Amino acid sequence: MNEEKEEIIEETQPLVLEKLREKFSDALLADSETSDDVFVVVSKESSYTLLEYLKTDLAYSFLVDVTAVDNSQLESELMQYDYARFMVVYQLYTFEGETSRIRVKVPVSEKDLKIQSVTELWKAANWLERETYDMFGIDFEGHPDLRRILMPDDFEGHPLRKDYPLRGRGERESFNFDK
Amino acid sequence: MGLANTNIENGSSTERTDGNIITTTIDKVVNWGRKNSLWPMPFGTACCAIEMMATLASKYDLSRFGSEAIRFSPRQSDLLIVSGRISIKMMPVLKRIYDQMPEPKWVISMGACASCGGVFDTYTLIQGVDQFLPVDVYIPGCPPRPEDLIDAVMQVQRQIHKGELPKGSEVAYNE
Repeated sequence: MNEEKEEIIEETQPLVLEKLREKFSDALLADSETSDDVFVVVSKESSYTLLEYLKTDLAYSFLVDVTAVDNSQLESELMQYDYARFMVVYQLYTFEGETSRIRVKVPVSEKDLKIQSVTELWKAANWLERETYDMFGIDFEGHPDLRRILMPDDFEGHPLRKDYPLRGRGERESFNFDK
Repeated sequence: MGLANTNIENGSSTERTDGNIITTTIDKVVNWGRKNSLWPMPFGTACCAIEMMATLASKYDLSRFGSEAIRFSPRQSDLLIVSGRISIKMMPVLKRIYDQMPEPKWVISMGACASCGGVFDTYTLIQGVDQFLPVDVYIPGCPPRPEDLIDAVMQVQRQIHKGELPKGSEVAYNE
């Protein structure tokens, strides 16, 4: 009984990764898995089709999080992906069968901050992408309402970027109540 | 018979004659009533608000000092308790709430974050609400204990009793 169960787990876990490797062999820049964690790095051009495939064919119906990482001060990470400054990260979860998570990372260069929005696939992406835009300045194309969500509307800059000073650029001292 | 000069309260010049007549001033009577029925407007944005709730609940019971009538409408309150972090996006909201309160009005800045930004020395956080509001009493602590808030309310009461103007009114009169 126990052996049987172990066999099934061994079969299902790498299945997702195998399928992705097969279908997106050109687009996958890196992938990795541990006992309960799978992640893939995919090029920006194929990210939407890969995410669409994960949702429709592999039943990853739950978009847990969309965020980004600014690697501008991490040389080792920058070198791997052609000096793309940002890494947009999608966390997905499936409730089907053996529930599992997958993390999809997409390198985004500072010269071209555009990336296709996934609001068409998951409604939950709406506010998450707005937050990522607010904090990192990633431009999600096709987003129905891409404006700031946390910072005031007239705020300038994107504060989670590594070059943004922690104490700000004087916005907390120069405050205007007339707006 | 004759005058019996008895101070009903410390420092006041209220006089009592014969136990039948009390002479005083209107201001003193009004202030006496005012200080014993402060109506707080809570502006709780962080963990200080939890301590404020504890202060109002049965164990600490702020109603012993006449301040239990919490109003969530600024138009019905005369004591603003700022308890928590105030971000640059929240500041116009707080300022507007303060402006809507009828005079005279007092402000308590509760805890380190409201008073000076606390540990959050970041781009988004106002480093002390006294940059924008006339604060009457500051409470240190992170978060302060309910006893500290009670002490602050009593300090406001003492100010009212002495006939001192709230800081906000002082600013307005000086201008």
